[in-house]
Amino acid sequence: MSLRPVLYHIFPKPLPYLPALALQEKIHSIQARSRTTSSTGEKEATQSSLSGSKHPDILLLLEHRPVYTAGRRQDAVALDEERKRLVRSGAEWVATQRGGETTYHGPGQIVGYPLFDLTRMGIRTREHVCRTQTLLKDYLRDRHNVPSFESTHTGVFVSETEKVASIGMQVRHGLTSHGFAINITDEPLRWFDQVVACGLADVRAASAESARAQFTGKRVPLNIREECEVLRDMFGEVYHMPVKSLDEAEVEIWQAVKEVEAVAEQAGEWPREPIQT
Amino acid sequence: MAARLIPRVFSAGLAPRASFQFAHATARSQFLSMRAIATKKYTPEHEWVLYDDATKIGTISITDYAQKALGDVVFVELPAIGTELAQGDNIGAVESVKAASDIYAPISGKIIEVNKGLDDKPGLLNADPEGEGWLCKIEASKPEEIDSLLDEAAYKQLCEEGHQE
Repeated sequence: MSLRPVLYHIFPKPLPYLPALALQEKIHSIQARSRTTSSTGEKEATQSSLSGSKHPDILLLLEHRPVYTAGRRQDAVALDEERKRLVRSGAEWVATQRGGETTYHGPGQIVGYPLFDLTRMGIRTREHVCRTQTLLKDYLRDRHNVPSFESTHTGVFVSETEKVASIGMQVRHGLTSHGFAINITDEPLRWFDQVVACGLADVRAASAESARAQFTGKRVPLNIREECEVLRDMFGEVYHMPVKSLDEAEVEIWQAVKEVEAVAEQAGEWPREPIQT
Repeated sequence: MAARLIPRVFSAGLAPRASFQFAHATARSQFLSMRAIATKKYTPEHEWVLYDDATKIGTISITDYAQKALGDVVFVELPAIGTELAQGDNIGAVESVKAASDIYAPISGKIIEVNKGLDDKPGLLNADPEGEGWLCKIEASKPEEIDSLLDEAAYKQLCEEGHQE
């Protein structure tokens, strides 16, 4: 198997959505550009043509500032009234190109962006989504003693009506963007109550902290940074790759990461719950 | 070959058999030339195009390998009729298991038809990706691009090489 490491970065402060999306796009274009130069010069590559390529696989782990996002198949025009209502409550609203429907991201929820070259890894889309979903279930079970409820819907549930983690990805030429989101503390839950998330009207959001309290009888406050580190290590195991911290050696990507962190720092505080108007 | 046979056979007095052989040979050569008109070619990213040389129209979709790799399709995003595309341009997307996978134009041209059946039945793409699950039809602006694509043998080999699971 490849000894090429996954380069990870855990962001210290919650990121505003649009600069983080721009960062994803930047990394995607660096990966796409590197594939063009290492293969026959065409955009469409195969696993063998990519074997000498230098672009890294990246895993970003972060929180967002309060934001609602919609997926590719949703009609942004039809959602305009909802968008206005949600923005009034103190969140951003962004239409994206990922799969899946409306969801919420905010402090207390870990968002992961595995920016992987699936073609080079020799993994197909469904397999990648499946591995990510299984990883999140194993994380809940092994780290928090919370068993998952088996659902036909993509994502991770703790009961028929409670969802703790979501997945929504985009794949272009075998390069992934967007990823997964898992509620760690209860802070995201009030925000989730404002929408029908993921197109599932009867389902409410749950958190790892509350689910753990329910199953073990004891509430333990969870630390976002520590939980990111656990998830990071699990990704390394599941994808059979060592994990290594992203640093200045990846000049372009590092600079873009630092810029986003500066924006997050300057943004200051955020509303801890939806503003009631 | 048929033309050379006929005079000899006729002179031997075997006219009915000869005319059958002649008709058969002619039909075969017509059949062979008809088969040459519609060519199915593939891209390394698992799109196929069935190209009709006479009409310059290519029918486009994803392969069976691709639909298996994606999972159950829940939504198909198709291009607008009239869209002009260059080879490799984004032509739409297929959404499955919460992943939206972009699809790319195998050849340059103008979209002249899209498969409306996929609006209600996106699952057609899983059930019959190389038949009823066609995505759209394109009027080729650069027919020579067909030659740069993979033929069936090359595509099969690529799939075998890439198989990891």
